[in-house]
Amino acid sequence: MTSRTARRGARILAGVVSVALAGVLSGCGSSSGSGGTQTVRFVWWGNQDRADATTKAVALFEKKNPGIRVQTEFSGYAAYVQKLTTQVAGGAAPDLIQLDRPTFGEYQHRHVLADLSRYTGSTLRVDKIPANLLAGGKADGKQYAVPAGQTTQMLVYDKDLFDKAGVRVPENGWTWEQFAKDMQKVGAATGVAGTTDFGWAVDWFDSWLHGRGKQLYTADGKLGFTAADLEQFWNTTAALRTKKGVSAPEATTKMDGSTQNSALVLKQAASEMNYDSNLTSYLSSYKGTLKTAPLPGDDAAHSGMAALPPVYFGVAQHSAHKDAAVKLLDFLVNDPEAGAVLGATRGVPANSEVRAQVCGAATGDDKAVCDYEQRVQQRMGPADTWQWPSGSSAVKTDFQQVYDDVIFGRTSVSAGAERVVENAQQALEQ
Amino acid sequence: MANTALTRPARQVTARPAARSRSRRRGQGAAYVFLSPWIVGATVLTVGPMLASLYLSFTDYDLFDSPRWVGLDNYVRMFTEDDRYWHAVTATLEYVVVSVPLKLGLALAVAMLLNRGRRGTGLYRSAFYAPSLLGASVSVALVWRAMYGDGGVAGRVLGVFGIDVGSMVDQPRYALLTVIALAVWQFGAPMVIFLAGLKQVPKELYEAAALDGAGPVRRFVAVTLPMLSPVLLFNLVLETIHAFQSFTSAFIISSGRGGPSDSTLLYTLYLYQRGFTDFRMGYASAMAWVLLVVVGLITVLLFRGANRWVFYLGEGRR
Repeated sequence: MTSRTARRGARILAGVVSVALAGVLSGCGSSSGSGGTQTVRFVWWGNQDRADATTKAVALFEKKNPGIRVQTEFSGYAAYVQKLTTQVAGGAAPDLIQLDRPTFGEYQHRHVLADLSRYTGSTLRVDKIPANLLAGGKADGKQYAVPAGQTTQMLVYDKDLFDKAGVRVPENGWTWEQFAKDMQKVGAATGVAGTTDFGWAVDWFDSWLHGRGKQLYTADGKLGFTAADLEQFWNTTAALRTKKGVSAPEATTKMDGSTQNSALVLKQAASEMNYDSNLTSYLSSYKGTLKTAPLPGDDAAHSGMAALPPVYFGVAQHSAHKDAAVKLLDFLVNDPEAGAVLGATRGVPANSEVRAQVCGAATGDDKAVCDYEQRVQQRMGPADTWQWPSGSSAVKTDFQQVYDDVIFGRTSVSAGAERVVENAQQALEQ
Repeated sequence: MANTALTRPARQVTARPAARSRSRRRGQGAAYVFLSPWIVGATVLTVGPMLASLYLSFTDYDLFDSPRWVGLDNYVRMFTEDDRYWHAVTATLEYVVVSVPLKLGLALAVAMLLNRGRRGTGLYRSAFYAPSLLGASVSVALVWRAMYGDGGVAGRVLGVFGIDVGSMVDQPRYALLTVIALAVWQFGAPMVIFLAGLKQVPKELYEAAALDGAGPVRRFVAVTLPMLSPVLLFNLVLETIHAFQSFTSAFIISSGRGGPSDSTLLYTLYLYQRGFTDFRMGYASAMAWVLLVVVGLITVLLFRGANRWVFYLGEGRR
């Protein structure tokens, strides 16, 4: 090759490379805030009805605040947590984030959430939100997240199947023993399991513990229960499993809190335990008549039920649009119009004035939630409002995974309970 | 270049080697310039992160705070204290040991059928190859989950034959089989390679064997297999490595949880859970390096064993 060809080759190469670079660089440096418009990213998890209501509320906010555009994203719970972790770790955290107790604990401990204390009282009004709800979003005395609603535990059941078995909800609610007998009755009479096996979720174990004066985690972040407690809890479901009192393992293993995988919706159980913030979702996807009943407890004073925020909203620490995000948060929680649009998709509104307004004018599914909350008002006991420790997310998934082994007979209840406690202690230590 | 050197006058003889090496260097320079995008990519996007991951495997890193050195703690915990780790290893080994031979066997069988050259071979070849293009995708895995789940097609078809199996995806006994089935369904890629290999077997060998009185089975064992053995080794190594790295199918079919009671908890899926759901990136990095070492060892073993059964045309048998 002569030097002339080599030089020409080099020139061609230089030309190609510069064109490629120009193309790449022009692709970068695009969008993100032209003129005065800010774009706030808002993410949440939930079912379709929650998504529809939230999108409408967001559109309302954009109309009232022409300088702020909101980009929304939503998914199912498990995918949401994984995606959020990756986004936050990669520095691309959304601005307004929906959280629950485990994720709030995890992210607050890792300094992902912004301290909202300087907004409360001015842009962010919290005076009409009950103190016990607000307390769940506090850590070290500072407000890091605001409750998005109020919910409590419920049992949703198919009226026709219960009638067929001749089971009625007792005046003062069920005790655990009565409940077990009635569920077996339903299973025997209708061929459909009485209730979805409730041993899978750490939430129902928490309610069961509350009825006995215990809790999942103590205020200083340690485990609040022993293997013996868990063994007792899982033995009650084990006894029911053999007699069609609770759903079959194949149905239970699918449970993840969403309605499309719900054993009740898939007609593999006649009732299910859940939070009333999901009631609107059930009502819109179930084929049949659904009614609500309070969770079984030992008595009215030890019902294990409590008023909790189903989800919280938090703002990311490194968000570039904190003010706009807080404005959106305040709108969603305190604005009466937003409350009317959101309805009961995240439980009844946290703001007591908005709640009175929404429940007063509620119709259909939203009304069902409001009525239920009203009915069980007396049964709600105090909630432990301290922050769940870092590691509670791992405990939640581990709980379900070990229960999977238990229901498929791969491990005994006692061995499983030991494992959960061991793994939980390890998770909390880190 | 050589021709011009011969015709040049003698006084340029001493300059020749220098000129040649200078232009060779210029030629190499251009080569490196063309290679540079790949080199940059390989260093920054592959080797760099690999080294970072090696460092992280000796730390406790939760993605948010800075990594904290813990030495061999992750590795020790993995091998001695973690039950689910062994569930993952068992599930992965089951998956590899069953799916790879099935996939290759099916690929070879179908390749031999297509080698007959009947009408429509081109159509069948494309039809069988298509799944391996789509198979690793999320959408196909979702459809697979629906097919083998409650009220899915698979259950109903088996019901026609009197086998009542319910939702295969939700039972620990059958869940891994559905993942294996998805892998075996993608036999098109190795099949096409086998087909190419089969076409290269000299026809004279078959004729000679037939003349010597060899039946179809004997011809297969004595002619086809040895002639195909390099292709077989290639497919075996690639498919084994690929099987150890399987993630998407198990993730979607088990909805990210590893299946009823860890039955579909493939190694990479467990790694993902540990890293992204439990915020334990150090542990996940340690798992990744163990996988690398194990897969490397298995590949070395495969190549060593290959000396005994792989036969290259033109060499004597060793």
